[in-house]
This record gives sequence, C-alpha cells and structure tokens, in this order.
Amino acid sequence: MIAFLRLYALQVGAAVRMSFADRANFALQVAGMAINNLVFLTLWVLFFAGFKSVGGWGFSDMALLLGLTMTIVGICGVAFGGYRDMAVSILRGELDALLTQPKGLISRLLARESLATAWGDLAGGITVLSLFAEVSLSDLPLLILALSAGLTGYLSAAISFACLAFWASGARSFARDLTDFTLLFSSYPGSIYQGAVKVVAYSILPAGFVVMAPVEMLREPGLKSVAVVVTAAMAYAVLAAGLFHLGLRRYRSGASLA
Amino acid sequence: MSAVITIANLRKQYSYAKRGRGLFGGFSPQHVSIEAVDGVSFQVERGERVAVIGPNGAGKSTTLKMLSGILEPTSGEASVLGLTPWRDRKALAYRIGVVFGQRSQLWGELPARDSFNQLRHIYDQDKAVFEKRLGEMVKRFALAELLDQPVHRMSLGQRMRCEITASLLHGPGLLFLDEPTIGLDVTAKAAIRDFIRDHARDHGQTVLLTSHDTRDIELVCDRVIVVNAGRVVVDQPTDQLRRRFLGRKIVTLLFNGAQIVLDLPGVTRRASDAHAVVLDVDTRLVRVEQVITAALAHGGVEDITIEDPPMEEVIHDIYASAVTTQ
Repeated sequence: MIAFLRLYALQVGAAVRMSFADRANFALQVAGMAINNLVFLTLWVLFFAGFKSVGGWGFSDMALLLGLTMTIVGICGVAFGGYRDMAVSILRGELDALLTQPKGLISRLLARESLATAWGDLAGGITVLSLFAEVSLSDLPLLILALSAGLTGYLSAAISFACLAFWASGARSFARDLTDFTLLFSSYPGSIYQGAVKVVAYSILPAGFVVMAPVEMLREPGLKSVAVVVTAAMAYAVLAAGLFHLGLRRYRSGASLA
Repeated sequence: MSAVITIANLRKQYSYAKRGRGLFGGFSPQHVSIEAVDGVSFQVERGERVAVIGPNGAGKSTTLKMLSGILEPTSGEASVLGLTPWRDRKALAYRIGVVFGQRSQLWGELPARDSFNQLRHIYDQDKAVFEKRLGEMVKRFALAELLDQPVHRMSLGQRMRCEITASLLHGPGLLFLDEPTIGLDVTAKAAIRDFIRDHARDHGQTVLLTSHDTRDIELVCDRVIVVNAGRVVVDQPTDQLRRRFLGRKIVTLLFNGAQIVLDLPGVTRRASDAHAVVLDVDTRLVRVEQVITAALAHGGVEDITIEDPPMEEVIHDIYASAVTTQ
C-alpha cells in the first residue's frame, strides 16, 4: 500500500508539473475558475438576501454545500484529473501500453492529468468553507470525513460513468455529461429535490451522497448520518471497482475493440 | 537453445454488430465474426530476432497483444518465458519490454528523464542498476540532449528512441515491437534498426517485431514469419526469404523529354506515362546503381525515386509461392 501511494504521489507530482508547464495558461485557468465560482456564490448571496430560506436551507447551509462541492471537485481535478477523459483513454486503446506494465493501471489513468482549473475550485472551496459555511474548528474531523466521503463518491461515480466506454463507444461524451450532471445536482439546495428527481440524485447521479448527505451530517451529527455517508461512499467505490474490473475483462477479451 | 515463446493453435475471434440497411437498420443489426488470428502456431528460441509480417488486418498485432498479455485468445495455448501471458500478465510484464509504434508509454508533457524515473518505480528497479542501464542507453542511443526535453517536443524518431529506452530499462529478456519504425524518416529508421539489432545481439535478447517495412526485417531479424488472414503462410530464415522475395527495388524515373528503354537483365517496366517510367529491378541480376547509370547516360532525367516494393506485393509473391509449393 505504501509503495502504491508513493507511486501515485510520484505520478500526481508529474501531472501537476505538466499543468504548470504553461504558466500563463495555468494562471488564466485558475483565475477564470475562481471568478466563475465567485459569481456563482454572489448569485446565491443575492438570492438568500431576498428569500432567507429554501426548504429549510439558509445561506450558510448553501455555502457549506458549495464549499464541499468546490473542494471535492478541486481535489479530484488536482490529484485525479484523468477522470475527466478516462472514457476517451479507454476508447483510444491507451490501456494497451499500460497493460504491458506490472502495476499502476488505474493510477496512471487517474493521474495522467492535473487540471489547472481545479486549483481555482480548491481555493474557492476552502475560502467558502472558512468564511461562509459556519463551521468551527470542532467540526473539523466531521468536515474531513464529509470531504473524504464526498470525494470517494464523486470520483467513484465518475469512474463508473467512464467504464461505460468498455461497452459503448458513445460513452466518450456521455460519461462526461453524467459527471457534469452530478456536479450540477450538487450545486443546489438538497431540499428542492423531491420524488423521482430525488431518487435520481441519490442513485444514478449521486449528488445526494456526494454533498447533500454530508451537509446534513455536519448540521445534525449522529451515528446514523455518519453511517449513511460512509456506507454510501464505500458502496460507490465498490461499484466503480467492480465495473472497472468487469470492463477490463471485456477489454482484454477484445469485445470492446470490435 | 530453449524456447522463449511457444504458441499452439492460437485463435482470436472478434464479433461485432453490423448495422442493417435503411432508417431503422440500427434496430436489426447483424452479428459478424472475424477470425483475426486463425490457428497460429510457432516457437521462438532464446536470442532469436523474429519478424512477424503481413498486410493490414493479417493478425500480427493481435498475435503480439496476446503474447504480451493484453488480449485473451478465443482458444489455443501460449507460453512466454514459461508463463501464460493472459493469466500471468503482471508477472510477465516484469520480464518483457513492449513498444507500440503508434502508442506512447511516456508522459508527453514531461522530460524523458521523469518518465524513465516513474518507470523505475513501476518496475520496482533498484536505483543503482537503473542508473547504470540508463547511462548505457543514453550513450548508445545518443540521448544526452533529449533527457531534459519534454517528450511532446521531440521528433518522432527521437521519441521512438526514448520509447525503446523506456521498454529496456528494467532489463527484459524478451522485446516485443509493434511497427517500431512506422512514420520515421530514413535516418531515424536506420538508427532504430541498428540499435535494436546490436542491443539484442549484445545482451542475448529475444526480439519479436511486427512491421510493414521489408528493411526492418532484412536488417534486424534472422527469421521471418509471414501471416495472412490470421494464418502463418511462411516461416523461414531471413536469408532464404531475401534470396527469393526481398531482392527487388522499385525505381521511378521522371523525364523532361522522350522516355528511354532500358535493356538490362532483371529490369521490368511497370506502369508508365508520358513523363515517368516505373521499373521493377531484380537486384539479384542487376545493381540499382547500374540501372541509374544507364538512365542518366540516356539524358533528360529530372528525378529518381528508389523504393522497396510495398509489403502487400511481397506478401502476395510469398503467398503465391507458398500456394504453388503446396
């Protein structure tokens, strides 16, 4: 495990250096994303200045949700940036060269890229959590748990969507669309989702488990809310690992190449 | 000698859904099967340099992918360095090197040195051994000036030198190369061929390469396996094959005046038009130099091109010969 983490850290370090290579472009992308996040936050500030509450969610709850979303997407983009184009990598047959190496298949796919924009998300997320989310130092352990579980859920969902490329060539853009929809669902108060939409938000597009359940866990801590968040994250991780394993078997059988 | 690769009746079948005709054709697809590799059997001994050649779709890359553990066969058996490639993929990976001419194992934006260093960790290589091997490769492949250059800024030839270096840094006893000279210019091809041949000879390394280029075969390999439509058509030493099939050159002459008639043994006229004549030269009977001299003596020559015959033609000749022999 230590060897794996060391190799992964080395690969991520290389990916980050790659993203730094064009400094002007890097700075532009980071600044662009930071401004985008600021505008989005400002809209919610203006909204809550008028309405005060949406289904029981106040501005600080929304700030907590946005802070978690931005931080999760930021960490994902910096440390696992290859997830965005994983379906494309599979469809291009890039696994061939990786399969001839003894280890580092999934890590190489995830660490092949570090997204410059993700630094803007990460900076925005930490700022929002620190200044507007009304979380104290005593909440830090739960906050870290919420971020870890949300990160696991989001990344696992993205990997699962990318794995569709093992079965369908149309997954090239579809996988990205599903990941973006998950992100979209993660950017609004959980209380607005009802009925079938709520089922979708807590299953196919797991925004519910990525940020909404973690927000509830932070607002009303308890064994049950912790169990829900942790179990859901583990379930999505198992699903992603299973789908990748099955997909890889299909890839190696040659069925996905025909 | 001992067998490094043994394959017996190896088959790989692909099937895919072919869209039906018309607007609703997508709802009634036909399932089509392709025999990419159809009962291939051969052995490769330690230290041999073997070329697997054939036209596009012959099954050579699929065979190589099965032998390196990437693909699982539909049926048949294979043993590579005593392992079954598709079952022991990870264990085998430590003992083989693989180079795909059209796919990179390097990190494009990073300097080559960083990619090599990452591969050291992937292959669990001791730092001192790794540095020694890298030093040798840098010297023999003239990589010193490339090491700190991002891979995506290199020419194709430079990149291929780095790809081959990357595949050899863990000291594999067996090297698979899939079209290693594809897209390279003449000088780069020559450097790659010299390196592969000399390195394999000096280290007793076994090489299995696929190629479209007859020169790769002549200059690197001592044995040729010709595959066509997924089957082995010919399996014989390169010298034997060279004498029979690789002794031809295609010479194209462009004129600014009247065309010439070259009456030389071993020279056959192929297609031609008002300003160009294409000659098929059998180098066993006449040297290319003699043909060029005769053409220049005639005068009016504007341009000369000398090429190897296309692989498809060579395969056709070999195939026709094999069928006749049978």
